[in-house]
Amino acid sequence: MTEQQTTEKPIAEQDFSLNLDDLRPRHAEKRHLSDYFMPRRHSFILFHPDRCTGCGACEMICSTRNVEKVAPVSASVKVVRDEKEGKNFSILCQHCRKPLCLPACPTRAIEKGDDGIVRIDKLFCTECGLCTMACPAAAPIKDPGSQEIHKCDLCEGDPLCVKHCPENALTFTRGKAFRWIKGLRWTSQLISFLLLVMVFIGTFCYFRTGSVSFACPTGTLQNIASSGTVVLVSVSSALAILILTVVAGRLFCGWICPFGFVLDLVDKITPKKLGWPSFLKSRMTKYGVLAGAVGGSYALGFQVFCTVCPIGTLCRSYGVQSFFKSAELAIIPALASLEIAQRRSWCRYFCPVGAVLGLTALLRLIKIVIGAKRCKKFSCIQCAEVCPVGIIDADKLREGLSPKIPMTECIMCMRCIDRCPYDAAKIRFRWQKAVPGEGRI
Amino acid sequence: MNPFQPFYNMKIGVVDLSASSAEVIPLDQEQVSRYLGGAAMNSAILEGYQTDALVFGTGPLTGSFAPASSLMIASFASPIFKCLCHVPFMLRTGPDMKFSGVDYLVVKGTAPEQSILHVNHGKIRILPAGNLQHMPVPEAIRELKKTSPAFQSLIITGPAADRGVPYASVSIGQNGSLDKAGLASLMSVKNLKGIMLGGTDGLPFNRDNPHQGKELEKIISTDKNFKHRGFYSVLTKLEGGKDAGKFLKASRKKDMACYHCPSPCMTHVRYSWQDPRNKEMQNSEDGLLLLDHTGCAALAKKVGENILPVLRACLHYGLDPAGVAERLPQGRTVLEYLNAIDQIVSDNLSRTTDVSQRQCLFGGGVPPILTGDLWEKRVALAMVLGVCPVFLLRFPQITDSALLSFISASEDVLKTMQERLSSAISSLLSPL
Repeated sequence: MTEQQTTEKPIAEQDFSLNLDDLRPRHAEKRHLSDYFMPRRHSFILFHPDRCTGCGACEMICSTRNVEKVAPVSASVKVVRDEKEGKNFSILCQHCRKPLCLPACPTRAIEKGDDGIVRIDKLFCTECGLCTMACPAAAPIKDPGSQEIHKCDLCEGDPLCVKHCPENALTFTRGKAFRWIKGLRWTSQLISFLLLVMVFIGTFCYFRTGSVSFACPTGTLQNIASSGTVVLVSVSSALAILILTVVAGRLFCGWICPFGFVLDLVDKITPKKLGWPSFLKSRMTKYGVLAGAVGGSYALGFQVFCTVCPIGTLCRSYGVQSFFKSAELAIIPALASLEIAQRRSWCRYFCPVGAVLGLTALLRLIKIVIGAKRCKKFSCIQCAEVCPVGIIDADKLREGLSPKIPMTECIMCMRCIDRCPYDAAKIRFRWQKAVPGEGRI
Repeated sequence: MNPFQPFYNMKIGVVDLSASSAEVIPLDQEQVSRYLGGAAMNSAILEGYQTDALVFGTGPLTGSFAPASSLMIASFASPIFKCLCHVPFMLRTGPDMKFSGVDYLVVKGTAPEQSILHVNHGKIRILPAGNLQHMPVPEAIRELKKTSPAFQSLIITGPAADRGVPYASVSIGQNGSLDKAGLASLMSVKNLKGIMLGGTDGLPFNRDNPHQGKELEKIISTDKNFKHRGFYSVLTKLEGGKDAGKFLKASRKKDMACYHCPSPCMTHVRYSWQDPRNKEMQNSEDGLLLLDHTGCAALAKKVGENILPVLRACLHYGLDPAGVAERLPQGRTVLEYLNAIDQIVSDNLSRTTDVSQRQCLFGGGVPPILTGDLWEKRVALAMVLGVCPVFLLRFPQITDSALLSFISASEDVLKTMQERLSSAISSLLSPL
């Protein structure tokens, strides 16, 4: 006790300074068990520019809630009229899944609640305006009179502007309850998985019934390389998936591939991504793997990659008869664990089957386009957030430009189409140059 | 208690351009109780000043939860009609004037040099605007946005007014207005280029009767006019309007509404054309907001399918399309029309009008879509209360008591206000 007293500094000399973490600890993102299976609904107000007449009723009613008087400049929603184009835009908080205003606030006055609503705590707000600069939609609006920052809080779940809009140009949405593309995709993936893995064991690599045969295109390439002979039946069998790719892009990867289904399931339970070091993030790697597989097969005289192919392994090892019996079992969790680093890491960087389909997709008939004009003026970037292979350029969207989507990389999962609240993401034929809403806003 | 208290700032701004001074004085409560506001109040205020003064005013409902509460009224002795005129200004001018901290603005005297007013937070600044002289309206607006304090609404005169052309018209932003009574000419005589309204304050309008708006919406939504909306719905009711509609309909882009208006009567049009005087400009796309029904109908009669480029030229110079139409021949090319407009701006010609007396009283631009006394009574009602006259003409079933109930739900107060409203309307229509 005496020793302690001697080592302790007098109270006046002790450092009692508190940092921001002591005053206002940053809240960790809470995830409930149900979030892994069904993502939390994303509440926001959807603006229909084609319906808005610019009457400003939303601004009026919003300002009465913010400052208890009709003062449109003090509203959390702003209608901007483009005199030349004859268009109205709204500046309105989208309550993003990962709000950029939140880390920008130096006093941590902005928080995203469990209900998904992003709020400003007036007690901590210093009205510095950094959030208005950080937000791609400029949604936190600085009141030119009082200098206060006003931001939509969805009227705590019952937005007044939506109720008062005479044209129904504002719709309150708690996210789509059921996304039909998502439903179809999961059903297709599940059925494909059951058929290829549990019922028709080994059928992905090669399957023949009567005069009809199907084969894995990568396996076929390796077969040709290893045997040194081109068997017409084998080549024509591989064409089935290639023709599907020419018609509909890499639909196989997004809708049929059983290993892709496993990866999507693993993604559900590994929400936190560690990321890849930048030197490993090259999408050309998979073409290198393909070249290696074909070259290796030629050199060694057998289909080298097929021995470790996760799709083939899954089909061969996890059937009802051979379930848990094969030593190949280990390859699946090993590759699936890459999901910890990034979504669909295997598909993005390593899969040689994806590489063959990617090359075939150069001849595809369709493309996915995101028209920035149809998109909100300052994009909500939800499409970029949901893309499992990360090919939608969020920065381009923030600049108000239509991003170019590399269809050789796109797995045609159509999550972007399903998620877009403005119907800006569309499928078009590749020769369609004039895309509605394409170009700069 | 004064029922108008939350509806007004209770302030009048008085600008003496000769002395380059501006002051804000309290609004006379008795005068407000007697005349309610708008054009009736403008006339009463104008009596206290010289004949060359002009008054901009709002009604009690301007900016409130009443539908189409967008009105600002300019009252002045018209140099063209030679009588007292009340010109309505819509879009957001009325609410922005109130939200700038003054309810009425009196402008008297003549500025020694071209000036522009900036009103905000109940303060008025007289700013030099010599650099804007002879500048086309869109360019002048761009210049103001760059160099002047921020504003929400703007009324401005164009190069036509700077040159003293009698066909000049004031423009709300770059969209034109219903001024056909020579307000732009009067402003140019005073060396007043325009008025910028900051609109950054607000007013705690009475919300005792929040369901009143919904009740009115129900009444309106059952009306057949509610479905027929946009510029053409009004245009086709005017003489020659159907032909104009034919030329304009193909370019229709979007219907637009003024402040808090549930049934838009303006339309944004987009059209592509080639300026024959500018060979570098190939099939340029352009957009216009159509708000002047009578002007478009008159112009279409003369220029036919060339209406949009000709209208654009009018707005560019700050000209009244109806006035310009009087001087244009029929059946010419776009180039000839554009040259004729240039000629109108450069020549200082005298103007003759054949507008009826009742139209003159309200600036000559309110579309005559109702017949008989009903038209002037509805317009006068709108001009006193500060509600868009076109909206009240389109929906004649909206009664004065329905509008007054936005001010107070008390029956006694309503009865008194109705009496005063009738007397204010009578005094306003007395010149007729």
